[in-house]
Amino acid sequence: MSGPRRLNVPRPIEVRPDGDGRPLAVDGRAVQAVRESWLVEDRWWTDRPLRRRYWEVVTEGGRNVVVFHDLASGDWSGQRG
Amino acid sequence: MIVCVLLPRLELVVACGDRQALLADPVALAPEPGKVQNVGEVSARAEVLGVRAGMRLGEALARCPQLVLVPPDPAGVAEQWEGVIARLESVGAAVQSERPGQACFDATGLRRLHGGSLEGILAAVRAALRRPARLGVAPTRFCALAAAQRARPRRAEVVGGPFADALARGWRPGAGHAPRATARATAVAAAYLAPLPVVLLSARPATAALVEPLERLGVRTLGELAALPRGKVADRFGPPGLIAHALARGQDEPLRPRAPGERLREALELPESASGLQLEQALGMLVDRLLARRERRGRTLRAVVLAARLVEGGTWRERVVFRQALADPDRMRLAIAPKLALLPAPADAVSLAVERFGPPASDQRPLVDEPAALRDARLREAVRQVRAVAGPEAALRVLTVDPDSRVPERRAILSPFEPGEPG
Repeated sequence: MSGPRRLNVPRPIEVRPDGDGRPLAVDGRAVQAVRESWLVEDRWWTDRPLRRRYWEVVTEGGRNVVVFHDLASGDWSGQRG
Repeated sequence: MIVCVLLPRLELVVACGDRQALLADPVALAPEPGKVQNVGEVSARAEVLGVRAGMRLGEALARCPQLVLVPPDPAGVAEQWEGVIARLESVGAAVQSERPGQACFDATGLRRLHGGSLEGILAAVRAALRRPARLGVAPTRFCALAAAQRARPRRAEVVGGPFADALARGWRPGAGHAPRATARATAVAAAYLAPLPVVLLSARPATAALVEPLERLGVRTLGELAALPRGKVADRFGPPGLIAHALARGQDEPLRPRAPGERLREALELPESASGLQLEQALGMLVDRLLARRERRGRTLRAVVLAARLVEGGTWRERVVFRQALADPDRMRLAIAPKLALLPAPADAVSLAVERFGPPASDQRPLVDEPAALRDARLREAVRQVRAVAGPEAALRVLTVDPDSRVPERRAILSPFEPGEPG
């Protein structure tokens, strides 16, 4: 093993948001409810600040999914909360 | 400096055996019986006609109806490749090999053995191999492999010119200059790799899956990949992307050579094609012969390789890792015999070879077993077994780093598991 490895690393995910940035579909599955949303801002004092808008949603079929929108790069990722 | 020895299409060449003329035609290795139906290595002519190694059999035949399929010979490949590595080790090289046909070693320590120059080392390697091979020399393993793929059969490709020779001559920067020399080596490797296609990443299992998406995104060369911001590559491709990005920038993991091992093998020719009970009897004889060899020196066996030559052509090979290191022939037979049921056809020769030895058989048990020590010993044994089967990364543990972090990936990491540690 080359060294310690991080757990829960974000993975790219396909999200279709509405105009306000609220997820409408995750990986092709329609979002039925938004359970929670929160903002994480960290390391703003460094060259690589972290700004993420997290969404915990329930997709059709009843699956709980946590996704976030990287406000710096604009990419969407999925992550286990 | 790392030297890469490349024997292109070794598996196909071994499988063709005496029919080497076949290699001029569109030929591919047939899928192994009972495994995924993908073709193995393909000849240059088949490549021209659009067939690639790893392609589904149906697609390969649709693209090239005249494709000839050759039964694979995994046992023959393992035997030939073991011979090649042993010959490299005979010139003093500490060899790492990730797959048959591709081996790397560090040339730095061999200078005084072979005339004091890189040329001397390469000449010794060629003389030891006694077969045409492509040689690449570069600061990293990945770069050396790229160089070997571009080398001509009789002329090695050396990346870095005088800098390479200085390193091979044993030149070591002073303490204050070490980071500068490392940076120079990385820069030399990155500059060499920059114009080369990203398809080179398919040589590494961890990055092979990235080639197709990278090409689809218009990233054609390793230089283009290296120029992308690291964070964006990580966002898009995750850990494999980071590995590919580091390789493209001339960085690589250090060499991890194998410990030169002993070869202990027993083979039996069967007068008539055998299966079932006859094979079990032959297996019993092989186990007895193997355990009777003087070279075993009382050691137990941790892992063995059972191989067979099939009547209908080709060979078959199966690795058996024992739950506990063994020297008892009956228990060994019980552990290996079920594997005979996996044989895809009757065999006319079987062999049994030791892959790894265990501790000596004189394993004296303590007078009083302490439950905690016993549990710990069992756990250690279990970890050893799992690692023997699935590699060093098979037993990991979760280490909590910052449990209250608002960023999930900072809360815990995976680190190698060592029995006896808390948690």
